[in-house]
Amino acid sequence: MNLIAVALGVAAALAGAAVLAAVVLPARLRVVAVGVLSALLGTAGLLAGGAALAGGSFAAHLPLVLPLAGVYVSVDALSGLFMAVAGAVVLAASVYGVGYARHAGGGRGAQALWPLFAFSLLLVPAAASVSTLLAAWELMAASSLLLVVSGHRGGGDSVRSAGVWYAVMTHLGLVAILTGLVWLAAAAHSETFAGIRAGAPGLSPVARGGVFVLVLIGFGSKAGMVPLHAWLPRAHPEAPTPVSALMSAAMVNLGVYGLVRVGLDLLGGGARWWWLTVLILGALTAVYGILQAAVASDLKRLLAYSTVENLGLILLGVGAAGVFHASGHDELAALALAAALLHTVTHAAFKTLLFLGAGAVLHATGVRDLDELGGLRARMPVTSGLFALGALGAAALPGGAGFPSEWLLLQSLIHGLAVPGITVVVVLPVAVGAVALSAGLAVATFVKAVGTGFLAKPRSPAAEQAHEAPVSMLAGMSLTALACAGLALLPGAAGPALRRVVTGLLPGSGAAVTEGVAGRLSALGSTLSPLWVVAGTLVLALVLRGLLRMAARTPSRSAPLWDCGAPPLTARMQYTATSFAEPLQRVFDDVLAPESDLDVTPHAESAYLVERVAYSRAVPDRIEHRLYNPVIHTVRRAGLAARALANGSVHRYLGYGFTAVVLLLVVLAAAQ
Amino acid sequence: MISLLRKIRGVGRVAEPAPPPPAPLPPPVAQRARALGGSAQVRCVDAGSCNGCEIEIGQAFSPVYDAERYGARVVASPRHADVLLVTGPVTVNMAGPLRSTYEAMAQPRLVVAVGDCAIDCGVFAGGYGVHGPVADVVPVDLQVPGCPPRPEAIVEALRRVTGR
Repeated sequence: MNLIAVALGVAAALAGAAVLAAVVLPARLRVVAVGVLSALLGTAGLLAGGAALAGGSFAAHLPLVLPLAGVYVSVDALSGLFMAVAGAVVLAASVYGVGYARHAGGGRGAQALWPLFAFSLLLVPAAASVSTLLAAWELMAASSLLLVVSGHRGGGDSVRSAGVWYAVMTHLGLVAILTGLVWLAAAAHSETFAGIRAGAPGLSPVARGGVFVLVLIGFGSKAGMVPLHAWLPRAHPEAPTPVSALMSAAMVNLGVYGLVRVGLDLLGGGARWWWLTVLILGALTAVYGILQAAVASDLKRLLAYSTVENLGLILLGVGAAGVFHASGHDELAALALAAALLHTVTHAAFKTLLFLGAGAVLHATGVRDLDELGGLRARMPVTSGLFALGALGAAALPGGAGFPSEWLLLQSLIHGLAVPGITVVVVLPVAVGAVALSAGLAVATFVKAVGTGFLAKPRSPAAEQAHEAPVSMLAGMSLTALACAGLALLPGAAGPALRRVVTGLLPGSGAAVTEGVAGRLSALGSTLSPLWVVAGTLVLALVLRGLLRMAARTPSRSAPLWDCGAPPLTARMQYTATSFAEPLQRVFDDVLAPESDLDVTPHAESAYLVERVAYSRAVPDRIEHRLYNPVIHTVRRAGLAARALANGSVHRYLGYGFTAVVLLLVVLAAAQ
Repeated sequence: MISLLRKIRGVGRVAEPAPPPPAPLPPPVAQRARALGGSAQVRCVDAGSCNGCEIEIGQAFSPVYDAERYGARVVASPRHADVLLVTGPVTVNMAGPLRSTYEAMAQPRLVVAVGDCAIDCGVFAGGYGVHGPVADVVPVDLQVPGCPPRPEAIVEALRRVTGR
């Protein structure tokens, strides 16, 4: 028996059982049953993906599941990678969800949707025909949309607006993907991926380019690519935490999967301008995302913008791989693609951990605003430690999960300077700069998140009364933390799996690619092994501490904190997230265009006596303001104008119907 | 930049020649002063002075008297300081901050009371807001009398601490 087939079958059965359990069981049992079944579903996905990465493959045609087209399923190494990532995230988030459901998302509807969403994440990479992919994609979009909206009952305007934005943008993306893939299927005279792969080389350049641009818009919007990212920082923070984790760590990845699957696999590479576009948009996304994260003071919004940044880095890597492939440098392409895929995995690991940690904070305090947190290290030590581990990964510092992949990405870009061509010579160094800038800003962002959120004194009564998260939430976070530590310390272990994915996508290069990637990864393992860097730093710190102790001439003495002689030190004197980010905001003033408002009210008796000073500051998403608002206003105006057409008269509506039928008949007659 | 260099060349050296080395400190204080190794980081605290002593301390660190050439340097936090330079009678409000400043300093530490007020409250003795002389609040190791003391006297006291 094929392990992948068995695991996928078991996953489908578990998803069905979990939905049933959610609908039938009473509240207390429901949460536990759905959590356990979904965790098993995630494990099955992880196993299926792992088996595919280990060299297995599976393909099947189930004609009876979907009418007319049937379901085509095929799992190769690329699908396996994304399936394994989604499975692992589902496993951790489901375990976590058992404890979290008491806070939010424990309702019957939300619990029934959760396994559906989880299963759709496994189904999308397994789809092997256009109709299967679109059905799975829509299942994923719809279930996640309902989860975003259903999670917080009475969540108010922000949840509703997030839901509307997400619904509109995900369906516009679906329209783009649908148009592109249907065009591709029609041109290639086949609906299955195998048929398209065979027919794609014969297509005209216009059709290939058009299909690519359409799928880039569709999949790019799912991956949070600037300027189609506007839904992401709205929907991710508003969703219940396990859903945010699943969306941010697994769902957005599938945008990358779709782009790689269609662009590199089905269309077999393509023109250089396709991938230069992807590379440039990726670089813009990375820098813009992390800039917004650096000035955000809502913890979950900060994490959502950090997702935008990391997906930008991944798209940058994919774009670089495509450029190298189009230039005939498959070894470099393999390196860049391996870097992008490794970053997909590491990003999923640390972002799951960070979102789950943020959820634990929300669970304990009910507050998401970093300005009102602080002092959590003493009150929730385990959560703080785990969050700090995730932040180390997101900051891409050595010892963190994000370091090996970003290092590999930078290396591939620097080696890529050997590729000839004016555009490449101009774009690649700028891309290196963009990666470096986003890595630097990421450090500032996560120093802010950990420093102002968890250290020092609590700045609100809610933070003062925080308590440690329940066991199941800590267990979910610890599982992810283990994955983070593993990826951070032993990134070389991912080498063989990545090699299999990359050689599957870039078969023209054969042995050279294999050696190239293996060489780079083993070089990373031997010359700059993160394991040894971390061990060495720790040993050095301990030795230095011991030496300083021995060298001290007077015994150490503890003294009270220096408060300038004017106690007490209050929480109001601390850095807040806003004040910490203020210098950055000042530096990037022209890009961010923050809006601040200072309102001084003088006393009634004298203009020189101030009664009240009100200061408010907001950093709106500038792209959203400039790009989306005009479109929304135009659509709204058109809608208002169209009201005149529907005045309630039945005669007029019958007239419309009659005119439409006549016009249709005329068109049909003319077309004959 | 050029004009600054020209100024430096034009004005030249204004510091007065170093007077002969002062008398050594009494033994228990000298032992702690020796641990500083000839370099004293000084934190000044105005515990209620009329600011006369502050002006003279400022002069002691000016280019003319230049206390820095003997190894003394003014710092901005008691965490960085070895020597506490206290002026004025200690007022009720400053008694606590003075004590906590002393507590915040690393050991070995020395306290220099500058001016008559710091030694015995001077003309302010018995005032309603006066807590008492510095020695009532923190242990004083060295006294610089005068109202205000001349900068030479302050420099001499600092030289006795640094031993240079």
